[in-house]
Parts: sequence; C-alpha cells; structure tokens
Amino acid sequence: MTTPTPSTTAGAGTAGTPVATGPLGAAPGLADGGPGLPDGSAPSPRGSHASFLSRVPRSVWPLLAFLVLFAIGGLIRPNLITIDSLIGTATFAIILSIASFGQTIAVIQAGIDLSVPNTIGFSALAFLTLVGPLGPVGAFVAALAAGALIGFFNGAVIAKLGLTPIVTTIAMNGLLFGVILLAFNFSELTVTPDFVIAITSAKISVLGISMPAVLPLGLALMVVLQLVLSFTGWGRSLFVVGSAAETARLAGLPVDRIRITGYMLSGVLAAFAGIVIVGYYQQASATMGASYLLASVAAVVVGGASIFGGRGSVVGTVGGALVLGQVSTLVTVLNLGANIQQLIYGAIILLVISLYGRRRAG
Amino acid sequence: MSAITPTSTSTGLPARVWNGTGVVRLRREGAIAPIGAFVVFFVVYVIINPELLTRFQLQTAANLVVPLALVALGQLIIVLVGGIDISIGAIMSLCNVVFAVQLETMPVPVAVLLAIGTGLACGLFNGFLVAYGGLPAIAVTLASAFIFGSLAREVLDRPGGGITTEIYLATSGELLPFVPVSLVWLAVVAVLLWLLLQRTALGRHIYGVGSNMESVRAAGLNARLTKLLAFGLAGVITSLGAMMLAASTVTGDPRSGDPYLLSSIAAVALAGAAFTGGRGSIIGTILAACTLGLIGNLLFFAGVNSYWQYVISALIIVAVVGIPVVWRKAAFFAKGARS
Repeated sequence: MTTPTPSTTAGAGTAGTPVATGPLGAAPGLADGGPGLPDGSAPSPRGSHASFLSRVPRSVWPLLAFLVLFAIGGLIRPNLITIDSLIGTATFAIILSIASFGQTIAVIQAGIDLSVPNTIGFSALAFLTLVGPLGPVGAFVAALAAGALIGFFNGAVIAKLGLTPIVTTIAMNGLLFGVILLAFNFSELTVTPDFVIAITSAKISVLGISMPAVLPLGLALMVVLQLVLSFTGWGRSLFVVGSAAETARLAGLPVDRIRITGYMLSGVLAAFAGIVIVGYYQQASATMGASYLLASVAAVVVGGASIFGGRGSVVGTVGGALVLGQVSTLVTVLNLGANIQQLIYGAIILLVISLYGRRRAG
Repeated sequence: MSAITPTSTSTGLPARVWNGTGVVRLRREGAIAPIGAFVVFFVVYVIINPELLTRFQLQTAANLVVPLALVALGQLIIVLVGGIDISIGAIMSLCNVVFAVQLETMPVPVAVLLAIGTGLACGLFNGFLVAYGGLPAIAVTLASAFIFGSLAREVLDRPGGGITTEIYLATSGELLPFVPVSLVWLAVVAVLLWLLLQRTALGRHIYGVGSNMESVRAAGLNARLTKLLAFGLAGVITSLGAMMLAASTVTGDPRSGDPYLLSSIAAVALAGAAFTGGRGSIIGTILAACTLGLIGNLLFFAGVNSYWQYVISALIIVAVVGIPVVWRKAAFFAKGARS
C-alpha cells in the first residue's frame, strides 16, 4: 500500500516481455529455447541481467532454506542426515505440493482457489465410487474431468460475472461439500485400486534408492507444469493477466478465456491431488481436504509467489512445501507438538511476506 | 468508486441529509439485495415452519445466528478498509478458549475483559503489520491464522472450560418472553457499531480508506491509523461473537472458530459489500448472516436432507451477488445497442 508507482511499472515492464516473445493465441506447445533449468518465472533466456538477478531467487530461496533447515536438523540430531529422512520429508512435501500446484496457478493469475479442499474430497470420493462401474482408468479420467468442470464454473463466474475469486471459490467449496455429503455413500469406499497404489504409495527404486512412487510422479508433474508456465504462450499469458489484467486486455489477449482455462487447470490439479491422497493414505472422507485450505496457500506464499498475482512458480511451491515439511520433521523429532509446528508455519509466512510481500502493494 | 462523492458530502454536511434517504444509503451500500433475500427467506421459513415464532424456537434460532452475525460484522469492518481477514476463525477460537478458561478462576467481568483484550490484541497485531508494515492483509492474516490457532490450542487443547448456566442465561436465554437475550446483545452491538461508522470521524475515515486510500491521505487524514483501529475494532467484535458462541454452547473449544472463517466471508459477500473496500452495510451483513445461518434449520423443517444447505447457500450467494452484476451488464449493453 506504500509505493505503488515504481513497482507497478516494473511489473508491467517485465510482464511485457512475454507478450512480444510468446506465440500467444497459438496452440500451446513447448518452445525449444529452454535448455536450462525451468527456473522460477524467468520470462525468457533473453531477459536482462537485472531482471534475471531479481527473479532467480524467488524459486531458489525456499530450496536453499530447506537445505539450511535440513543441515540444522543434522546438527541437532546427526541421524537426521540420511536418505531415508530426506525421502520421508520429501514425500510429505510432494503431496502438499501436488495439492498446491492448482493453488499456484490460481495465485499467478491474481486469483485464489479456496475450493481446493473440497475439490480434493470430491474427486477422491468420485474416483472411488466410479472405479466399480468405469474401471480405474475411466474413473481417473472422470475425476479429472470433474475437476476441470469445477474449475470451469469458478473461472466463468470470476471472469464473466466479475465476482471476487475469494467469494466465488468459497461458494464453490461450500457447494461441493453439500454435493459430497449428498452424493456419496461412505460405507462402500474402502478399497483403493491397485493402479492408484502403484503410482503413489508403492515403493519403487530410483537410482538404487527406494522411495514411494508419488515422489518421482510429483517431481515429473512439477517439471511439466514449470515448462508449461515458463515456455508456452498460454503459460506466459497467465503471468500477464496476473500482473496487469487491463493491460493484457488492451493488448488484445483473451483475458476471460485465459482466466477460465487457468481455473480449469487449477481444478484438474486439485482433483489429481485428491486421487494421489487417496492412493497414499488409502482413506477418504468428506473432510479429507480441509487441512489443505490454508496449507496450500501457505506453500505457495512460502514458495515466493506474489499474493497479488503475476509472480510464482511450481518449483518455488515445491520449495515452499519442502520448507514446511522439514519444519514438520524437525518439530516431530524434537517432540515439540503440533501447536509449535503451526506457530512456526505462521512465523515463516510472516518472514517470507516481510521479505518480499511489500512489492506491488496497492 | 461511486461511493466517494456521497461519502464526502455526508461528512461535509452533518445535517440531516441521511434522514429522508435511508433507502438511498442502503442501495449505495449494496444492502437491498440481501435484505430482499432475507425477507423472502423469512416468509418462506414462517410458512413452512410457523413454529419459528414460538419462544423456544426463536431462542434456538437466535443463539445459532448471533455468533455468525457478530463475526461477520468483524469481517465487514476489515473488508470496508479494503482488507480480508483469514485469521478471523482463529481469533474467534482463541477468544473463545481464553473466555472459557478464565471463567474457571476469574470473576465474569475479568474473563470478559480478557477475552475482549485478546481480540483487540489479535486485531492490532494484524492491523499493525498491514497498516504500518505495508503488507497485504490476506498474507498477514494467513500467517496469523496459524499463529492464533496454535495459541488457542495451547490455552486449551480440548473442549472444556468453566462456563456456567448463569452465563448461558445471561447471553443466550430470554430477556422477556419472545425476546432472546442474544438478539438484544446483537442489537446493542449493531447500533453502537452503526453510530461509530456513520456518526464519528473514525467511522467515515474507515469508509473513506476503503473507497480511496489516496484521497484520504491527500486530505491529510491518518490512513494508517484508521486501518490499525479498524483491525482492532474488528478483533473486539469478533471476541464478542466468540463469547456468545462459548456461552450458548456452554463450552470452550479451540476449534470452534474454524467454520466461521469461510462463513463470515460468505455472509459479507452476501451482504453486497465490495471486497475492494468502502462499501458494505451493517444491517445487510446481519440479515445475510441470519439467512445463511438458518438455511439448515429451514430444510430440516421442510423435510429436505439438510446437507442441501451447503448447495443452497452457495447458490444464494452467487445469485444475490451475481444478479446485480448481470443486470448492470445487460443494462449497459441495452444502452449501447440503443445508441
């Protein structure tokens, strides 16, 4: 709220770059110019040096913070520096990340998706219910389609009716809760299909290290999403809409369509998270998503996204989730209790927003 | 934005401008739609369940909606200054357990003051970071939601506390036949809040900060202090809602505030308040909270599965908030087609 002028111009300036370079409106395809890491929200390899420096840390900082916390854990308890401990934390973090990927997309386009919790619950229960009649793959596709439909309604109400994202997604969250309670018979939902277990909780060996399958799955999803966000016209246009919607409209971008497809992707990702959570924890209930309401926003914010939109990355979100996961591990090891964990989460969010939450305020 | 001009005239002219134009003000504050929705809802309710107008049901219904109405008023004040409070549920839980635990050892007035003080402190904590730290309200309150929630469970980790029947009767009983005490308390708070917002400089500044921060600052007013005080005020009102909830359920519960995060925002949205700030009415918020709070009861009496309440609440919010938008757009296009 203090210095709107200089930061706004900076935002518009950097956001302007992809308009010139990205093939907007064309079918999203992977640009071939991305040899390096899909890093943060770097607009293009041609970005200026200053812009590069100011952008790199956003996704690198949470990862560094995680490493520092990991080392601190090792100093306190040397037996924490093991591959097993790392994989335990990473698995917790990757599940939170998968639940937060959709939130990341929503926050980048200057929105928020508070319907993530019950989208998770709805897709999980719909999946388990439909496995019988449709088979695992059919149910999987149906659950993701339901997520897309939920996102479509969110996006359409936000873009076309002009309701606030917070209000729209809260209403959607409530509506879904009603649908969950009305539509599903909980007593039947006990068997998790093998196919889902195979991609989540089953132990697989990667480079000789045994880990749950969800870990490489989540990391692969992260890479794909980051490539889409960083190197496709659609992905770049999400950032433009998030940082300066009016400018984007004047520049001729189909802002409404970008918004709606953004929320659709967000819904699909939340639905996918629901299936992953079912597979990993092998249980489902009406309120299974509740804890992801604030946690998903927390992971996104700690990952360096701007709550005002136009900034954020899924790599950063994974970093944010890793930080939160490592805190959880440390708190458990030191036997401090869940309350202290929540207190530290709050402190970390405050620290992160005081480091770079002030920009573009206004 | 259209709210700027009338707001400044009403501060400029403390004369009786408002007297004949109460409806104009309600319309400006977006309260017509929620009031209409409540009237329709109430008529339907009484037709389906005339028993509502009996003493017992009135009292039960009042105890159900009053905590939500108070928390929604707290949320409204934050929304008026252009913010949003994600931590409001956690503040409510914290005040709730402070009140319940202090009652075990302290006299009632001390417990009440401590609970109000807790709410004030939480509000000022958020407000200080937002107003003087220049941080976004949604992010600050996300962080404090974790912090206050953990403090609440630190104070009392499972439902309990020392709330007595006398306290229940003083907050949730009947003052006179057909007059639930909780409604009286709500009315007192609402009238005081209305006087504060409409009749004092601070109140007009709160509306002004939400409408146009720059103009308020250019006019030489202390916009930051106004924001800080608005957050503090919201914390105090939230603590009142927390005490009403603790008293009417005769228990302190560290998770009792959780559902109120989303429902307070829903009530403020249904009240037609602008989430960019500067627009929103007290009466609209209270009636919106009553509508949302009683849908479950109505369905129960109508013999419908009360799980439908979640679906219907969502549809009411989208309809009541969305129809005026569609109407304006349609009118705009009609005008464009004519010219």
